[in-house]
Amino acid sequence: MKTMKSRRPGGDRGGIRKRGATRTDRDGDMDMDGPGGRGGKRRGAGQTRPSGSGSGSSAGVSRPTRPGGDRLQARDKTLNAIQKALLDSRETQANIRKGKTNASGNLESYSVRGWKTSNASNHRDGGVGSLLGFLERKIDALTKSGPRAKITKSRVEGDSLVVSVRPELADRILRVNGALFAGVRIVVEPYDGSSSAAIDRELGTTSSTSPSTADTKSKMTMILSKRYYPDTKLLDLSKLSSDPDLVAMGIFNQTSTESKFFPALMKVWEMGFTDAKQRREAVDSVSLAHNSLTNVTAVTTLSQTFPDLKNLDLSHNNLKDDRSMSAWRWKFRNLEFLDLTGNPFSTEPTFKETLMKWYPSLQTLNNVLVRTPEEIAAQKKTPIPVQPPHFQDEGQIAENFIRAFFVRFDSNREELARSFYDSHSEFTMNINTSAPKAQQTESAGWDPYIKKSRNLLKINHLPARMSRSYIGTAKVLEVWKDLPETRHPDVTARPEEYLIECYPVPGLPDLTGQSPTGVGGLLVMVHGKFEENVAGKVETRSFDRTFVIGPGSGLGGIRVINDILCLRAYGGHEAWSPENQAIPYATGPAAIAAGASAPVAAIPAAPLATLPTPVPAPTPAPIPAPLAQAGFPPGYGVPGPGKTETQVQQEQMIAQMSAKSGMTLQFSEMALSGNGWNFEAAWKNFEELKASGTLPASAFLAPV
Amino acid sequence: MAKVTDDTLTKVSTDAATELVNSFYPALKNDRSSIASFYLPTPTSILFNGNTVADGAAVQEIFQNQMPEASYEVQSFDCQIMNRAYPTTTAAGLKPATEMGVKDMSILVMASGHVRYGESRDQPLRGFSETFVLVPNPSSDRKRRRDWLIQSQNFRLVV
Repeated sequence: MKTMKSRRPGGDRGGIRKRGATRTDRDGDMDMDGPGGRGGKRRGAGQTRPSGSGSGSSAGVSRPTRPGGDRLQARDKTLNAIQKALLDSRETQANIRKGKTNASGNLESYSVRGWKTSNASNHRDGGVGSLLGFLERKIDALTKSGPRAKITKSRVEGDSLVVSVRPELADRILRVNGALFAGVRIVVEPYDGSSSAAIDRELGTTSSTSPSTADTKSKMTMILSKRYYPDTKLLDLSKLSSDPDLVAMGIFNQTSTESKFFPALMKVWEMGFTDAKQRREAVDSVSLAHNSLTNVTAVTTLSQTFPDLKNLDLSHNNLKDDRSMSAWRWKFRNLEFLDLTGNPFSTEPTFKETLMKWYPSLQTLNNVLVRTPEEIAAQKKTPIPVQPPHFQDEGQIAENFIRAFFVRFDSNREELARSFYDSHSEFTMNINTSAPKAQQTESAGWDPYIKKSRNLLKINHLPARMSRSYIGTAKVLEVWKDLPETRHPDVTARPEEYLIECYPVPGLPDLTGQSPTGVGGLLVMVHGKFEENVAGKVETRSFDRTFVIGPGSGLGGIRVINDILCLRAYGGHEAWSPENQAIPYATGPAAIAAGASAPVAAIPAAPLATLPTPVPAPTPAPIPAPLAQAGFPPGYGVPGPGKTETQVQQEQMIAQMSAKSGMTLQFSEMALSGNGWNFEAAWKNFEELKASGTLPASAFLAPV
Repeated sequence: MAKVTDDTLTKVSTDAATELVNSFYPALKNDRSSIASFYLPTPTSILFNGNTVADGAAVQEIFQNQMPEASYEVQSFDCQIMNRAYPTTTAAGLKPATEMGVKDMSILVMASGHVRYGESRDQPLRGFSETFVLVPNPSSDRKRRRDWLIQSQNFRLVV
């Protein structure tokens, strides 16, 4: 328990969850399951009503601990449910309508309305607890025998409390319809999870008192289309209350409809898209200017509909302080432009500081530049500078292996397995379902993989650990054939999309049994991406794959001993592009490089790019390991105590300049510092000086 | 070496990997003075984002003096046996095959997770992938010692 705690400090937990969870509806069960379900396990214990709290209901019934908190959550759920209903097949839709099936059997859902104006509504939970107790007592009263009635799950959704009960209680719960609860008559009817019904619920309207939902939806669609500018990707939602169309709809006549209007509008917007990616990319900018907002609570769904928003205009509202915007504290992680001109908040002394802290990508606040793109890039720097791959191959064994591997993995897994795997080769895979992603992208589920995942965090039983390890060509091939078809980028054409590192590893099993100290081999670590067809849609995933290769009877005299594959959501390749990217890698004279017998270290970012041309293997740009051999001072170009990151980077640039030009470190440094540490400019300068014969002989290293 | 069953091998290797993940990452955060104790005295390769680090003591030095707070969360990890009869060189020379036991194996461990540098929750979560090779601790000192030590390590930020 202690280790668990230290790995996940309690204080951080909420933040991580909140940030990461805004779009994690791919865990299909989360949104519909109550706290007793799989999704519920993740929620804090504080949101579960303790059993035996007087109402006699189960511990699985949720109870809002903060006013509005669960309502927000409920709205998330509605949105998710509707999105799913729209995106998924008709079968799924039917399921939602009927009520969710779960492990404990079919549950049926009913919506209970009218209770919000009851005498219990001033309770801390808005009266939900009392209402649940009331419902259970009423059902019990109608039950002649058998176990006590139990409401298995419940959630608040707009004006409704949606309760789920076992089918045998169905007729009894419907008979509670019209009963008097804390001074008001409540309405109980079967829950309709369809999108139209959800809009009705969201707007708090019922079919008898309002124009039809279809009408509401088409009017909203029309309003949205008038306010959307596709060329600039702007959705202009300013001055809504004076919009003649909205006024005509009577949206702002009642406070109750006004507060529900915005979430419904967002829902209608989302319905306009069938493709999630398209939806996300349709809007960069939203204006909510001139809406008399005193709090963003009424429009908070904006952050769910447009999580990647870059520009947000909230000018000329009535937002008083950071608390009026707290609902968006952890949202809009890519926000670059924010306008709060004409809000009292703008005059608060901590205004700028607070918003810069909240939005790490914010560049312009109230039309004033607060951060440069360079400063934003600098924030993303890591304490450990990102260097080009360490590629210490032997005789291009790893290079040739990788080149062959991914092409064949895509085109002919059988041939691949027979080329490099033998009866001792082991393959396992593990799925990191919660890895950070490149953007707030939604990714396809892991169905085709998850049953083979040997994530030891989750697979704790020995038999499962054993059965998920595949040893020998036949077994490896069997599991590979079961995996979806993939398309990896061409290693030669798209080298930047891969990070490939390699170094020797001793003490591998000697198949011939001759060497008691074992044999040497190579550890090869590859990070990259691949595409896969998921239900007609191309899905991009990222992977990390580590191989141990040793001498064997496979192609090129090698065999794969170990092959561990980790799959995760697409995370891009920016993380491994070196921070001093502008430096072209040395391709010049090899004179300075370590002696030919020394292992080749540090192949540049594109180790394989130069292979197709029949020129010699790329000359290594000397970084850490070979520097000593090349006559550089120990620790040169390597982070060390008292050294700044800039120093390390400069030393590496100097080393590369020296390798490429054949000049000494001192002259290389002069060339670089004289050209503002711009490698290309320094190189040009060097070439000019060399051509004009201005450089003294002492500028160059003595030939080795 | 006595005949060892596959389930024992799986148990020994996965337990070793679990122990590494459960102790090494918390040490990087909270117990940096213990970092060197995770490494073989002469490791083959230690890499962080492509930077070569000499040995466990150097890793510890970097984490103690140059690294801000770092909170790791491993989200997925797996391991495989590389050599079930790993040749260990002890003070007395190469361990003879007759003395080898079930724990004389080398293990490949791969972890995937995220890390946050700095104390502020505003710092981004960075995805990482890390590969380790674990070998038996050659030390004959039976007291307060780790069973497995890091022979090689390669850390990379990948997101």
